[in-house]
Amino acid sequence: MEVTLLVQAADESFAILEKARVRAVDLMNTAAKLTSETRWMEEKKVRAIFRGAQETRAGLQNFVVTFVILFFFWALLSGKYDTFHLSLGVICCGIVASFGHDLLFHNVRAGDMRVIAGRFFLYVPWLFYQVVLSNFHVARLVLSPRLPIDPKLIRYKTKLESDTSMVTLANSITLTPGTITIAIENGEFVVHALSRKVADDLNAGDMEDKVAHIFMEADHIYIQDVLDVARIFAALK
Amino acid sequence: MDMFFLAVALGICFLVLLVLYRVVYGPGVFNRVAAISAVGTKTLIILLIVGFLYQRVDMFVDISIVYALLNFIGCVAVAKYLEMER
Amino acid sequence: MIHRGEDVIIRTISRMLIPFIQIYALYVIMHGHYSPGGGFQGGVIFGASFVLLLLTHGYHDARSRVSEKTMIVFSSMGVLIYAGIGFLCLVLLGNFLDYSMLAGILHVDPAHARSLGILGVEIGVGFAVMAVMVSIFLDISTGGVLPGEEEDVGEPPVKEA
Repeated sequence: MEVTLLVQAADESFAILEKARVRAVDLMNTAAKLTSETRWMEEKKVRAIFRGAQETRAGLQNFVVTFVILFFFWALLSGKYDTFHLSLGVICCGIVASFGHDLLFHNVRAGDMRVIAGRFFLYVPWLFYQVVLSNFHVARLVLSPRLPIDPKLIRYKTKLESDTSMVTLANSITLTPGTITIAIENGEFVVHALSRKVADDLNAGDMEDKVAHIFMEADHIYIQDVLDVARIFAALK
Repeated sequence: MDMFFLAVALGICFLVLLVLYRVVYGPGVFNRVAAISAVGTKTLIILLIVGFLYQRVDMFVDISIVYALLNFIGCVAVAKYLEMER
Repeated sequence: MIHRGEDVIIRTISRMLIPFIQIYALYVIMHGHYSPGGGFQGGVIFGASFVLLLLTHGYHDARSRVSEKTMIVFSSMGVLIYAGIGFLCLVLLGNFLDYSMLAGILHVDPAHARSLGILGVEIGVGFAVMAVMVSIFLDISTGGVLPGEEEDVGEPPVKEA
């Protein structure tokens, strides 16, 4: 009889200890997230100072890359490739590039352009595949007689930092049938989604992760935070 | 092939007529602006098909690009005006 | 007084499109011989690119890139190029705007000289049309306030970082 009571008491105390352990792990997770956010804000301030110093060096690179892209566009438009027309093209591209060389690339760090361009060209086929999938889904929704749509407006905070990446994500969302980006209000996307499945795909954040990967944003890992927390995690587990 | 393109162009003209209903009867100005923008996109396609029919596509592509540009700028201008009105 | 647009998407897309619109305008001017285009059409498209810049980025950002004085200079320069080529042909003992007389200066045959002469005239027309369109739009949008008296209209908005 006493043995049963003892076993029961031990069982209850193990349950209480287990609950306490789970709560402690949750608290640890929240604390880690908070420290990494404050660390990220300080890093952003330091980076802004450096960006001012790098602007003059990036000016010439912006000019050259803009000139090359515009000349490629000119050669595509004009079917004539003799010296006279190509020299006209060079002069015209020079004028336009000198006018607005900071229009195309607003605040890209010098040396980043090749990486971003390469990753962008790898992203486009994946986007195309998503568009095809969504086309089938929306067509099946629309063509069925009882029209099982569930339109709702979703707001969600984005982890992207710069203008260009947010616009790329907004355009990708609008290009995919079933979702339309309505506005971007200081870091928050307002998206209209047609059905539950499409809204779930959006909330999973696949597209956002891929766009952040293109522009090399939101990929911070702070070693010090991980080291701080790892010891305690190991002891708890 | 010419007959096919002609039939497609006439079909798109019919769709433009459907959208014109919204331009005329759309309650409010936002419906009308969106409908005009849609008419602009269809006009582009009709221009390109006419280019195919006359077998001078390069010339009509230039005109289509210009019309697309002006459609976009017009849309932005009207939206800016409507926003300032409020 | 047009204020800066608040929507990130339209601002970014316009900023990326404007160099391409300008290159397209210059293409239309230069290839007036071979495809629909010429001076006036190219000038209008070039002016439309400035109008887009003004609409989406507001008055102060656009003024920092193109001022009204530049536009006045460009329009006068366009007319000068047009009339200048005409008078040059007159000085070289031909009719007004008789481009074949330019063959002596440029060392090409008269047919080629006509082609180059028309190209020069179209460039002048393009300059003039672009400048006049932009200055008309600036005048209408600011309500006729001259560049010196802008303080009466309002301060520039606070620049966000």
